[in-house]
Amino acid sequence: MKFELKMPDLSTTGSPIKVVRWLVAVGEFVERGQAMLDVETDKATMEVEALNTGKLLELIVPAGQEVSAGEVLAIIGIEEPSVRSTARTSESGQIEGPKKYDRDFLLSLYQRILLIRQFEDRVKSLFLEGIMPGTIHQCQGQEATAVGVCAALRENDFITSTFRGHGHALAKGLTVQEMLDELFGAITGCCKGKGGSMHIGNLEKGMIPGIAIVAGGIPVATGMALAFKMRKTQQVVACFFGDGGVAEGAFHEAVNMAALWCLPVLFVCENNLYGASTRIDQVMKNTTVSDRAASYGFRGETVDGNDLLAVYEAAGRAVEECRAGLGPVLLELLTYRRTGHSRRDPCHYQPKEERVAWSANDPIVRFAQVLLARCNVDQADLDNIREKIDQEIESAVEQAKTAPPPALDDLLTDVYT
Amino acid sequence: MKRQAIAEALRDAIAEEMERDETVFCIGEDIAVPGGWGGAFTVTLGLEKRFRDRMINTPIAELGFFGVAVGAAMMGMRPIADVQYGDFLFLASDQIINNAAKMRYMSGGRCQVPLVMRAPVGATGRGSQHAQNMERYFTGVPGLKIVAVSNAYDAKGILKSAVRDNNPVLIFEHKLLYGSKGARVESGAIDATSEIPDHDYVVPLGQAALRRSGSDVTILSWLLMLHFSLDAAQRLTNEAVDAEIIDIRSLAPIDYQTIGDSVKKTGRVVIVEEGPKTGGVSAEIAAGIQERFHRYLKAPIIRVASPDVPVPFSPILENAYRPSVAQIVQAVRGAIMPHAKT
Repeated sequence: MKFELKMPDLSTTGSPIKVVRWLVAVGEFVERGQAMLDVETDKATMEVEALNTGKLLELIVPAGQEVSAGEVLAIIGIEEPSVRSTARTSESGQIEGPKKYDRDFLLSLYQRILLIRQFEDRVKSLFLEGIMPGTIHQCQGQEATAVGVCAALRENDFITSTFRGHGHALAKGLTVQEMLDELFGAITGCCKGKGGSMHIGNLEKGMIPGIAIVAGGIPVATGMALAFKMRKTQQVVACFFGDGGVAEGAFHEAVNMAALWCLPVLFVCENNLYGASTRIDQVMKNTTVSDRAASYGFRGETVDGNDLLAVYEAAGRAVEECRAGLGPVLLELLTYRRTGHSRRDPCHYQPKEERVAWSANDPIVRFAQVLLARCNVDQADLDNIREKIDQEIESAVEQAKTAPPPALDDLLTDVYT
Repeated sequence: MKRQAIAEALRDAIAEEMERDETVFCIGEDIAVPGGWGGAFTVTLGLEKRFRDRMINTPIAELGFFGVAVGAAMMGMRPIADVQYGDFLFLASDQIINNAAKMRYMSGGRCQVPLVMRAPVGATGRGSQHAQNMERYFTGVPGLKIVAVSNAYDAKGILKSAVRDNNPVLIFEHKLLYGSKGARVESGAIDATSEIPDHDYVVPLGQAALRRSGSDVTILSWLLMLHFSLDAAQRLTNEAVDAEIIDIRSLAPIDYQTIGDSVKKTGRVVIVEEGPKTGGVSAEIAAGIQERFHRYLKAPIIRVASPDVPVPFSPILENAYRPSVAQIVQAVRGAIMPHAKT
């Protein structure tokens, strides 16, 4: 993603403006509001500030040259993830149509990806209304990663998740009701109200409780895979974590062991560019997460995480390798968090242009376009799915609002077996 | 029957449990290297020959492999994870405290983590970072069961109970009590051998053990300090003091039934702990006794513990750091005659 730094209009009525000196060099990271260069007119010398946060990629007007208002001075940006050369897009994006997929299967994917969006939006509104307790970490904009990966898994395969786990849970088959009940702290929730948003899970559906310590689930997933290998069960674990988790020691210790023992674990890094408010290029020099795999001796791949079928296909290949004893695989899915890190975060640290650009790259809109254009699906089919989802969510919300809370005695149970 | 040291008894217990249940496996550093040491204190020596696929020798990555053990336990295995030195539990503590201990509760009782963890503790000539008594850092963590073994009979029976338990169990062992042999022999080691029956047996978790009956004072301790307390009781017979000694053995939960029976009888309590006095387990036990049995107490509870310093290296300082038999004797005198000038 690139932004142009333009010469502001200084209303100098045509008097020449000269670039005196650049205050930053190409390759340096600049923050919005930072002074970039000094310019002078016949009347004054002044600084020009950056309007975007990012890396100074290109300097167009060197010191000593004259410029006029509106002229592009420099290019600031972050590496544009979706066109990164290593990123794969789905085969279906390149062929005439995803004919190899069953229409019902594609519609089920659409149902699941839209369910997550609608669920998250409804939860957000419940939260802002003050009806829902606690805090929330949501995944609007990242839905394709959860759906694409989980669709490649079998029912008895497992996933591990993080504090941002609503999408993973829905994708793995937890019901809207058991999740909403959990979010409301009800005894009928999937963790009997003891887990809450950050620890959503249900063993019977193949999801252990979300582990809310960054990267804490990566060694656990590795151990689950070790158990599957030792017991020869043919099961696979998909371990979700964010780009922030990659800096933790737990990531490095665990992937090393998984590689060493060829474990059936699919490490899924949802690279949404931000760990809380800190952008990836402020905390790692090599921002291509999948590169880490090679240094530990296993395969890594970067995929357009907002292309649902690309994620599904890449996950499918990885799961197949894991089942064949050729694991692990590190899948880096490039995506973007369009909501706050947690409740009421206005995301002032995300440049507006970046947000706008990623809105145009919405995974649900993109998938709908594929369906409409090439899969014998019409808008009425999609509307129909949306309507059913909204009904399901609304009825679940009503039920969750009056779901019974735990008894006070439950405070003391479930500590030990 | 055969006479065994703690290291041998643990080794047999592990082997017998692995034989009995194929979901049991060992995971740790240097535990399964042919020609190696069998872990830092010879406990797993030779087991890699018998259980080639179930002795998982790990990289030096305590956070990682404790997490691996947690994940495997959640999926139906029964791992026995081993740290070379208890001090390294700090590295693994995120997985132990945030995951192993809480997973059952967070899941509303749907998950279980049948994980055994073994950790050697105690000051033994290695300076500050291979010496700490780690009990205090874990006893306040709900979800963990914590035991400390002071003789070979208990070591074997408790390890078996721990393996068969469906909760995470952390076993503390003392470096001076292992009876490690060969290159891994410890100077200053104490005899903690026991007669080990030939038949399968378990020692239940959660229970303290009466080690010496007496009527005048109750001495509570565990690990090495139990042995020091027994020596102190022997010396006190010269002063016509009859001390009762309880091996706390279960540090979480604490067995207030056994403790209470003794306190009601003697009315006087001395608690002995290796490790800094501030924030120690003995503080918790003292408060627990106070809450439950204060009306039976004839004198204030006395604690004997290390000073609030890191473990020093120099042998003369290390000996001063570790509570001594003489200090225990002195403390008992204080408990018996609280108002006497000593």
